[in-house]
Amino acid sequence: MATLLVHAVEQGLAFGIAALAVFLTYRVLKFPDLTVDGSFVTGAAIASLLLVRTGIDPFSVLLIAFAAGCVAGVITGLLNTRLGITNLLAGVLTMIMLYSINLRIMGRPNLSLLRVDTATRLIDQVWSPLGSVSVLIFIALLTFGIKFLLDLFLRTEVGFALRATGDSETMITAQGVDTKRMKVLGLALSNGLVALSGALVAQYSGFADIGMGIGMIVTGLAAVIIGGTLIRSSRVGWMTLSVLVGSLIYRIAVTLALRYGHVVGFQASDLKLITAILVVLALVLPRIREQRQRKVSACSG
Amino acid sequence: MKRLLTIGLAGLLVAGLGIGALAAELTIGISKIVAHPALDAVEQAVMDTLAEAGYTDVEYILGDAQGDFNVCVTIAQNFQAQGADLVVAIATPTAIAAAQVYDGSDIPVIFAAVTDPVSAGLIPSATDPSGYGNITGVSDLISIAAHLQLLKDLDPSIEKVGLVYNPGEENSAILTGMAEDAAPGLGMELIVASADSTANVPLAAQSLIGRVDAYYVTTDNTVVSAIDSVLAASQDAGVPFLMADPTSLASATMTAGFDYYVHGQAVGDVVLQVLGGTAPNEIPAVYQQDAEIQLNVDAASAIGLAFPVALIEQAAAIYYGGVTFEKK
Repeated sequence: MATLLVHAVEQGLAFGIAALAVFLTYRVLKFPDLTVDGSFVTGAAIASLLLVRTGIDPFSVLLIAFAAGCVAGVITGLLNTRLGITNLLAGVLTMIMLYSINLRIMGRPNLSLLRVDTATRLIDQVWSPLGSVSVLIFIALLTFGIKFLLDLFLRTEVGFALRATGDSETMITAQGVDTKRMKVLGLALSNGLVALSGALVAQYSGFADIGMGIGMIVTGLAAVIIGGTLIRSSRVGWMTLSVLVGSLIYRIAVTLALRYGHVVGFQASDLKLITAILVVLALVLPRIREQRQRKVSACSG
Repeated sequence: MKRLLTIGLAGLLVAGLGIGALAAELTIGISKIVAHPALDAVEQAVMDTLAEAGYTDVEYILGDAQGDFNVCVTIAQNFQAQGADLVVAIATPTAIAAAQVYDGSDIPVIFAAVTDPVSAGLIPSATDPSGYGNITGVSDLISIAAHLQLLKDLDPSIEKVGLVYNPGEENSAILTGMAEDAAPGLGMELIVASADSTANVPLAAQSLIGRVDAYYVTTDNTVVSAIDSVLAASQDAGVPFLMADPTSLASATMTAGFDYYVHGQAVGDVVLQVLGGTAPNEIPAVYQQDAEIQLNVDAASAIGLAFPVALIEQAAAIYYGGVTFEKK
């Protein structure tokens, strides 16, 4: 069970990077960005291609994937700000474009990384004194590093301008901020992070597949909303932490559903149903506890 | 009262855990990328083959990724956490995920229904038995050249062959590439129509009407889910439709391929070999060979096509009047 939890946390944090990205567009910029289903795979595709074809080390590959994701974000941003296409549609259009582009990058729908030195494999070898938690520590360091960088960024002048663009576009334009540039910047940063997440997950899973981005926006939103429901705060540091917590809860729900679903009579095909039920429980139980505490304090006068 | 409930629930959970922990003699994890008649047949065949060989006290952990590629790794990790003695991974992404999780382990990983295990990094070569330690399995690679030849046998005037496929499916992309390579050698030209989802299959099939002399579909999961629309398009075009999956006989003019249940039995045989003590890296990967031809007389007569006697003699089954007649 402990190893399963370690794996759940590993994946929760790896996908958590993409969740932070969705937080940036959906919550901060108030721009629902569907590009992520495509840019996640773009990161995975570029990372896999470079690892299989060239000798570039798996860590630099993460940075290159980030850059590629930024480009994807810029495309969506330009479609929206320069061509006036609505935010949702702009994201969808870029996502559709990326499907074909990603196939071209990989050259095939599925690229195997089994016989290549991925980041996780190297960490496993080099940090072997740490044993079975070496990969977990690496991913945790990476994810929290990104979280703190994001927190720092959102407190800079540019970061504040970005937040203001999402909150009240008219007000911040009156202050002289180019909101179009802010949107493009926000989308670039966000999709860069999504692509980085994709590159990391591909190396963790051992393959990049054209279909691995499907539903990424849903997973990201689930993490953002679950986290936001459990940790209510308007402070940046707590908000980004809540997103990571949300991502962890989702992954743990999937792991528990897989491990114990059959105990309550569910079949293998009910995985998605059980995952959703567990997430509902995770959201509802704290609220029940809150209500009970309120009743108790009311009674005791 | 509330405390009793909590204790009761906790007790149930512990009992559930306990039941799970009661060790069967053997624990085998079987995973598949999606629930699909062919993959389900493989899963069932493996369990049946083991049961027939006398392995009755087996705890099977079944994993279905439901099309989610990112769950494949979690499923394999779950097998590991539950102490699986052996893993059967059906389809390419599930197999790669299992190989990744069990990298360097002694637990055997047997892949099934993987079209190209060499490019997937599962085995170093098709003939070399000394694989990557704990991995071996059965591939469902079909002989494209033989299929195209069948079309020639059916009607030598067939030149342009229309192929509907999903470029996002690894197995399908490989087979389509092979078809494009094989076609010129047989004096044929391949015209492809791509459909990235089941909903787009009818449109892709219809786009080929009037441009091809025959339709061909490989073991593409996406297109197979919408196979009737391809048959309808071929009938509109008045041309024969060759399908590489025998379970779709009623939805094609002709099928050539192998039964996935038989494929599963071959996988079961490999599992039995491993359970019997042979190391996986001493078992060369099996490339399924026994392909059979099946003919759909109803569909053929609807477009005014008569099967040559040679093909009828080769056929393993005939579909006529809505009923499949198998040759003994």
